[in-house]
Amino acid sequence: MKTRLSGLAAIVIAAWALPYGLGTYTIHVVNIALIYALLAIGMGLAMGISGQINLAQVAFFGVGAYGVAILTTHSGYGFWAAAVLALLATIAIGLFVGIPALRMQSHYLGIVTLGLALGFINWITNADITGGADGISGIPVPTLPGIDLSSEYLYYYLEAVVFAVGLAFGLFVVHTSLGRRLRAMRDDSLAAGSMGAEIPLLRMTAFLLASFYGGLAGILYGGLIRYVAPETFSISNMFILLAMVIIGGRRSLVGCVIGGIGLTLVREWLSDFSTYAQLGYGVVVVLMVVFAPTGLAGIPARLRALRRHRRGHRATRAELRPFTAYEPVEDLAQEPGLLRIEAITKQFRGLRALDEVSLTVDAGEIRGIVGPNGSGKTTLFNVISGFYRATSGTVHFAGTDTTAARPYVLSLSGMARTFQNLRLFGQLTVRENILVALDRTRTRAIWRYALWQPGVIAQERRLRAQADEILDRYGLTDFAESPPAALPYGIQRRIEIARAMAARPRLLLLDEPAAGLNGEEVQQLIAIARSIRAGGTTVVLIEHNMGLVMSLCEKVTVLSSGKIIAEGTPREVVAAPEVIEAYLGDSELSELPPDQANVPQQDRAKEATS
Amino acid sequence: MNLTDSPQAPRLTVEDLSVHYGGVCAVSNIGFTVEPGGSVGIIGANGAGKTSTLKALMGLVPRSSGRISLGDQDLSRTKARDMVRHGIGYVPEGRHIFPGLPVDKNLLLGAYARAWNKGTHQQLDEIYDLFPVLGEMRHRLAGALSGGQQQMLAMGRALMSSPRLLVLDEPSMGLSPKLVGSILDVLLKLREDGLSLLLVEQNAKLTFGVTSHCIVMENGEAVMDGSSAALSRDPRVREVYLGL
Amino acid sequence: MQDTFQTLVSGLSLGAVYALVAMGFSLVYRTMGLVNFAHADIAMIGAYAASTFYLTSKLPFAVAMIVAILVTGAIGLVIERVLRPLENKDFDLMLIGTIGFGIVLQAVAILIWGTTGRAVPSPLASAPLDVFGIRIRPYDLLVMGVAALAVVALSFFLSRTKRGAAMQAVAMDHEAATAVGIDVGRSNALAFAIGAGLAALAGGLVGPMLYVDASLGGALGIKGFAAAMLGGFGSINGAVVGGIAIGVLDSYAAGHFQGYSVLVTFLLFTVAIMIRPTGIFGERTVSRA
Repeated sequence: MKTRLSGLAAIVIAAWALPYGLGTYTIHVVNIALIYALLAIGMGLAMGISGQINLAQVAFFGVGAYGVAILTTHSGYGFWAAAVLALLATIAIGLFVGIPALRMQSHYLGIVTLGLALGFINWITNADITGGADGISGIPVPTLPGIDLSSEYLYYYLEAVVFAVGLAFGLFVVHTSLGRRLRAMRDDSLAAGSMGAEIPLLRMTAFLLASFYGGLAGILYGGLIRYVAPETFSISNMFILLAMVIIGGRRSLVGCVIGGIGLTLVREWLSDFSTYAQLGYGVVVVLMVVFAPTGLAGIPARLRALRRHRRGHRATRAELRPFTAYEPVEDLAQEPGLLRIEAITKQFRGLRALDEVSLTVDAGEIRGIVGPNGSGKTTLFNVISGFYRATSGTVHFAGTDTTAARPYVLSLSGMARTFQNLRLFGQLTVRENILVALDRTRTRAIWRYALWQPGVIAQERRLRAQADEILDRYGLTDFAESPPAALPYGIQRRIEIARAMAARPRLLLLDEPAAGLNGEEVQQLIAIARSIRAGGTTVVLIEHNMGLVMSLCEKVTVLSSGKIIAEGTPREVVAAPEVIEAYLGDSELSELPPDQANVPQQDRAKEATS
Repeated sequence: MNLTDSPQAPRLTVEDLSVHYGGVCAVSNIGFTVEPGGSVGIIGANGAGKTSTLKALMGLVPRSSGRISLGDQDLSRTKARDMVRHGIGYVPEGRHIFPGLPVDKNLLLGAYARAWNKGTHQQLDEIYDLFPVLGEMRHRLAGALSGGQQQMLAMGRALMSSPRLLVLDEPSMGLSPKLVGSILDVLLKLREDGLSLLLVEQNAKLTFGVTSHCIVMENGEAVMDGSSAALSRDPRVREVYLGL
Repeated sequence: MQDTFQTLVSGLSLGAVYALVAMGFSLVYRTMGLVNFAHADIAMIGAYAASTFYLTSKLPFAVAMIVAILVTGAIGLVIERVLRPLENKDFDLMLIGTIGFGIVLQAVAILIWGTTGRAVPSPLASAPLDVFGIRIRPYDLLVMGVAALAVVALSFFLSRTKRGAAMQAVAMDHEAATAVGIDVGRSNALAFAIGAGLAALAGGLVGPMLYVDASLGGALGIKGFAAAMLGGFGSINGAVVGGIAIGVLDSYAAGHFQGYSVLVTFLLFTVAIMIRPTGIFGERTVSRA
């Protein structure tokens, strides 16, 4: 902490002293560099942090700059009034450009946003109000009492303050609740949704942040250069901006800043050889993407990982500690029908994955759902947890009709789940994985970032204490700072359960929790599941391991070809002839209708998105 | 049919095969032998490493260690795309047919490693004899087939390469008992024709029905190994895998 | 009425060019699952190369075109080879990698051909035909004819040849394709080369219609992408329909909104794609999130 503070103090002093050593031209370049750094922060927030391919950042920059230019020269506003209006306009445009993100992602979004940026460039090049190709000159000098901002030296201090506040705010966002949700959405939007994050709202927030920084940069640019023209906001500048973010490291705001400042300086330095410089950026972007996808900012971490790898795993003394049981709840709320499923049918293009499935799970149960691969078990979970909309039938959870409820609503109302193929947030640490699930606030609570930051900080402190508690309970403390993908499979499975339980659900859905576990780990899992139930959470689990189901569940439901073929105690179920026939694969007895339940597994995840 | 015309596969020997994903060990030191015309099964729960074993054998995931030989040929370093040229046909888990191509194109691509000529089309007709439903659907897109039909297509595609050893990964997955029965019939027929079989299954009953020798995998290791008849009588196998 | 038809005709020839761009784009997407943002700049290089061989080396237009296609095909091979480590791994990174290549190609174009563009005279210098009062330039007919031929040839290749079938199989399931003996890397390289060749064809053909400079790729490319998206990513038929739709929309917007035509085109495009993200003949899933 102390070294950090002194480091910060050193940076502040250096930033304050910087202009004293620079010539007029150099300070101009520094001023430009800071503007690009702000732009790059916005770009990094949208692309690196939130995973939204936004290729319209240069247009946001343009809206900010042209906004100020038009409002001051054309409408006669003062600079600061114009700046506020221009910022609002940029955010409005940013939200507009973000709308397509609700319907499409990845390359689709890239093309649409690039197209809209091109439309904007087309407009500023041709409209009368923007001065066409000539642009707008004569933007007034921003006024501050006692400070002459027409001096680039003094303007530097204005920029430095805006930049410092902007960077600090960006870092604040990234490292607290909102940023965690954005990063979780980037890593796995499905899992993030099932942890209570409202994906559409978060995607719009990403564009809001990108346009906010774009607008700020545009306003500062207008005040600095006092002249705007279309070539500053061209598509090739958009791509250079992209190069800044990729080279610096899109997942780190500091990396984006380094990329933004660094590339601006290089560009000025090579301004006599601009084409070669462009060639260089392109080559570096390609090399970075192939060899160092995390950019300059990611290199230290990669080196550390390499060194650890070379030294072998022995150096780390991390171990999985035993699970601490939950305090048993005295009187388990005997609420019959916590989950009521009635005649659910799910049809996929000609395939009936679920066929009139009805089942009721009472509070306090541990229910097993078994059936051959492809019999519709996971589809049933996806319908219950809101990933799939049932073709017909109803689902009631805790007394309310949740047939059409979105995953985040179900999560906030007390349902949590794990996934067959593990859906941990790969770029987040184990602690952050838990923190995402702990965060029970509605996504709209992000207004506090704009108006009441202490509230965010207080919540953050509370969540972190709870996270420590959960990590400790599940014996994961040693792994708190690791990315989950580097950990053994059995530990990842436990993290997923810990994450689901962090949401303190009333109903926990476990999808094949024992897959890939060894005998000892299965025994631990049984103990954990029992304790979770004793602590007042109802458990429904899909499993193949008959031994586990027999010893853990009081009641078992057997699915085959999308239909329930048996329900009862494990003993009853195993003895039922239909079950022996279907699940255990005795082919002599069979005269069942031909196959109906073949959900193409690999498509499940895709079909469930947005 | 054409399959019997080709000579029997030489002995397939796999020794010390291991697979690592990142730092995680998925398969450790698996070894087994498939005799000419023989049939070997691998059973185990989801996540036990069965599929990884097959994929490593086929070269579809990197083999961290291990020796693979077919007769006197060393296949330890052979690339996945060349395995088929050594007479090893592969039916992947979850079918993995080419959904956007018609049934006949799917089958023809099974014979990709050879020139397409009159013989190829003759072979196509033989596949249609073996799986009549594929003949009826030959111009349909493979993605529009039902699960059982897709499984047959995946098997037919592998057979189009005129393999001497057929490697199957969970052919019974998601199929109704009746269809599992017909898959069993086809496998028995192929075995009769002299094809060597390596079968990975969760359905222990099917596996014991087709194979003469079996391996039980847990956590990436072979925990049991023996004749299928003996394993099907083993009390532990009966409890865990047959649920009896 | 006459005006509408006139707009339609000029839209069709430009649309044919967009369709060619979209086709190359779609082919690469369909076979490799890669969105090639450098595609537009490959088309620009194709336009420059074709015009250079035609104007400077005095080759016949058709020969110049073929040489340009070979040159860009080779560029395509290089791009594919460099980005191959990312194939089937990180979709978004690969996309950014192609943007990097686009930046490189633009710089290369400026280094070779300078910043001033060039106008390419039409190889068919004859006067416009007059059909029921609508003026049709013979060159426009040539462009439409060549584009139609390319569509037929590509469809034939994909549906009738072993390599074509293999190429599609790789796109649908690269692991299963490997297991039947297909060399996935080589198949992808071929797809990329053909895609680049189609881009060069589009670039070469558009040379005499528009002004050739380093920013040609931007204009041509984004409309080509939009065409591919509108038609449905990865669909060859979709590329043709989408290309013509964007071409007609473009010439209609140019006629009615003059300077704002690009803005109008992309706003309408955005609305259309919001209503139907999969496009007209689109793939089933859109969001890869």
